[in-house]
Amino acid sequence: MQSHKLTGQMFVFTLKKEWITLLLWLIGLAAYVIIGVVAFIEIYGEPAELEAMAMAMQNPAMEALFGKAIGMDNFTVGALYTQSMTIIGFVLIALMSILLVVRNTRGEEEDGTLELIQALPVGRLAHTNATIILLLATNTVLAIISSVLLLLLGDASMTLHGAILTGAMYGISGILFGAVALITSQLSSNTRGSMMLAFSVLGGAYILRIIGDAGLTVLSWISPLGLLYRSEPFASNNWLPIYIGLLVTVLLLITALWLKKHRDIGAGLLPDRPGKTRASSLLQTSLGFVFILIKVPLIAWSAAMFLLGVSYGSILEDVQDLLSGNEIIEQILASDPSIGLVEQYMSMILAVMAMITTIAGLQVFLRIRAEEKKQRLESVVAGNRSRQTVISGFTLTAVLSMFWLQLVQSLAFGGAALATGYDIELLDVLLTGMAYIPAMLIMLGVAVILFGWIPKTTPIIWLYHGYAFILLYFGDLFDIPAAFNRLSPFYHVPALPSEEWSWEVTVTLSVVALVLIAIGTVGFRQRDIN
Amino acid sequence: METLIKVENLSKAFGKTQALDQVSFEVRKGEIVGFIGPNGAGKSTAIRILLGLIKADKGRVEIFGQDVWKEAVDIHRRVAYVPGDVNLWPNLTGGEVIDLFLSLRGIAVDRKRKEDLIRRFEFDPTKKCRAYSKGNRQKVALIAAFAAKADVYIFDEPTSGLDPLQEQVFQECTKEALEKGASVLLSSHILSEVEKLCDKVVIIRQGNIVEAGSLDDLRHLTRVLISLKTVEALPDLDKQPFVHDFHMKKGEYIFQLDSDHLNDLLAYLQPFTVTQFESAPPKLEDLFMRHYESTRGGV
Repeated sequence: MQSHKLTGQMFVFTLKKEWITLLLWLIGLAAYVIIGVVAFIEIYGEPAELEAMAMAMQNPAMEALFGKAIGMDNFTVGALYTQSMTIIGFVLIALMSILLVVRNTRGEEEDGTLELIQALPVGRLAHTNATIILLLATNTVLAIISSVLLLLLGDASMTLHGAILTGAMYGISGILFGAVALITSQLSSNTRGSMMLAFSVLGGAYILRIIGDAGLTVLSWISPLGLLYRSEPFASNNWLPIYIGLLVTVLLLITALWLKKHRDIGAGLLPDRPGKTRASSLLQTSLGFVFILIKVPLIAWSAAMFLLGVSYGSILEDVQDLLSGNEIIEQILASDPSIGLVEQYMSMILAVMAMITTIAGLQVFLRIRAEEKKQRLESVVAGNRSRQTVISGFTLTAVLSMFWLQLVQSLAFGGAALATGYDIELLDVLLTGMAYIPAMLIMLGVAVILFGWIPKTTPIIWLYHGYAFILLYFGDLFDIPAAFNRLSPFYHVPALPSEEWSWEVTVTLSVVALVLIAIGTVGFRQRDIN
Repeated sequence: METLIKVENLSKAFGKTQALDQVSFEVRKGEIVGFIGPNGAGKSTAIRILLGLIKADKGRVEIFGQDVWKEAVDIHRRVAYVPGDVNLWPNLTGGEVIDLFLSLRGIAVDRKRKEDLIRRFEFDPTKKCRAYSKGNRQKVALIAAFAAKADVYIFDEPTSGLDPLQEQVFQECTKEALEKGASVLLSSHILSEVEKLCDKVVIIRQGNIVEAGSLDDLRHLTRVLISLKTVEALPDLDKQPFVHDFHMKKGEYIFQLDSDHLNDLLAYLQPFTVTQFESAPPKLEDLFMRHYESTRGGV
């Protein structure tokens, strides 16, 4: 028992440094459950609406994203909740658990903290044990919170049995992926590698489930996500997947502990791959340098925008049935009753997606601020590239990213709509997406000015963007004076396809954006680098 | 001799703190100047101004006769810089960053020279930068600096993470660069290194230059450590005005002597039989400590 010595103290210590982070995660996940239940009961309370939603959920794209349609013979709010919330919920919970485990095991080992702890009279496995206990505790709390929330907020279709099963399903998904992360933390010798491996397992499980649901059923049973989904709370209420999941988790945890006990501190079981000895010619250009810095987030954004585009686009066919008669949604959308609901929905969704793309573009540009804060920007400025070249590298990459992501999401949206049988011109959707580019550039321009002149104020751009977002959502819901609306660049963009493309707006907004960017660049040229 | 770095009456304030106040010094062609001073004295601020990263409030700062702020890009073509705290991109390998740094100076990579330096510094360029220790990160910057010719090298505590063997390599590389006619400004805490390498030193304290000149000149301004033995007892030696920090150890008289009073000491010793006489030239450390102590004293 030597190797488990002081596990208790280690757990208390781990809890002390982790509780705020985990509390935030739990609050977030509780909000996810609350929003899910309340939204379904409020919006799809009527049987007819429920029916329409059930139809929409059987669409193959929706099944791929959210999970196989369940409870089709008796479609209830409970079944709808399970189908639409489960897989995404699993992914979020798995994310929390993977981060928790890697941060507390391999992360501390890489930082050298574990070495200090291990030099004390503490058992070799105490540190890892503490993390496992934390993982179990967190997910147990999550399970209880979810069950209680479902019982409190749910309607008659959300039974006690189903609520408990849902909680158990959530808890097991987190513990299982936490256990996977504990294994990957033994395999790779660094934090990033451990996370990447664990995320790959998660991503792989997601893809296996999609293929499995599309026909090869055995694959969805192999995928942990697909397996646990088969519990189908509020529909078939099957506990078998939970037991299988539990068994797999126990095996994974035992293996991980055995591996941990038998390897050297700081070492990973997989060999470190040697990296490149020389830089590619791309890295040596000012644009390529920025591109390589933001490559990974950009790929993630592309995937996210693609999935968003597909999921919104694929329900276009069903929108009419889904939305008509729903007062709140009609009020948000229908500023002009002469225009079809579907067109308005499309304008709205494409505008929202343009705002999300803007976040991505701003993030690309703001990488320059992160570089400055981490004192790497000075190495770049100390070279023989002018400051204008340096900042333009980031600005230009941001602009290109915005174009690229708008292209991806509008084609995904239009493509999915076409594939699911809605008659739409792909070019129209693309044009709608592109119409927002000048407004997005103005957001970027404001960010460049903030960064260029008073770098500390850069985060203000998120407030401004949030303001524009709120206006877009609620501008028609409440009577907001036009002057407030005009402050948002997105307000000026004609809502295609229900409104006409305007060259006047496009050119004006673009010119304003260019001026803003130029002013910001001038600021950066004459200020101190901190 | 041509002056490559020229700093004249340089002042810079951050808010209410005066980081640099009327600082002047210069580095001539082929010269290596040590830039020393306690933490927070303003060394790094001065270096960042030289690199055009921050803007001087007042004064003239030039490299190659060009204004460091306005002509920064032009100047940087011929300048190599190594900071003390090297921050690198965690997802790039050391080898990639070396090439990146060279490309940032607009220089094509000389593979042979790069590999030669990698060998000399015993550096593994295939690892991602997140895996490097402080010393290894410094090697990245040092290899990139030495891998291509520069006319001016600016080092800000470049060896603070290196082991003594690699410090040696750094000193060799610096000497080679000097032989090729380069000039070096070396800010360092390792005074023995400065002593070994530098022709001149500039000592900065609380934003002011307190001492500047050749090491030999500076030594004259300071004290020599003397230890001596005599057959007879020496009366009143400790009361002589040129004797400081007097104490006795195993029958030896040990004290500090004002360098310009050596003659007075010899005159004083004339009547006695001296059996042992040792004098140690002042170390840079003593010089430095004197200024450092006065800082602490709040002078």
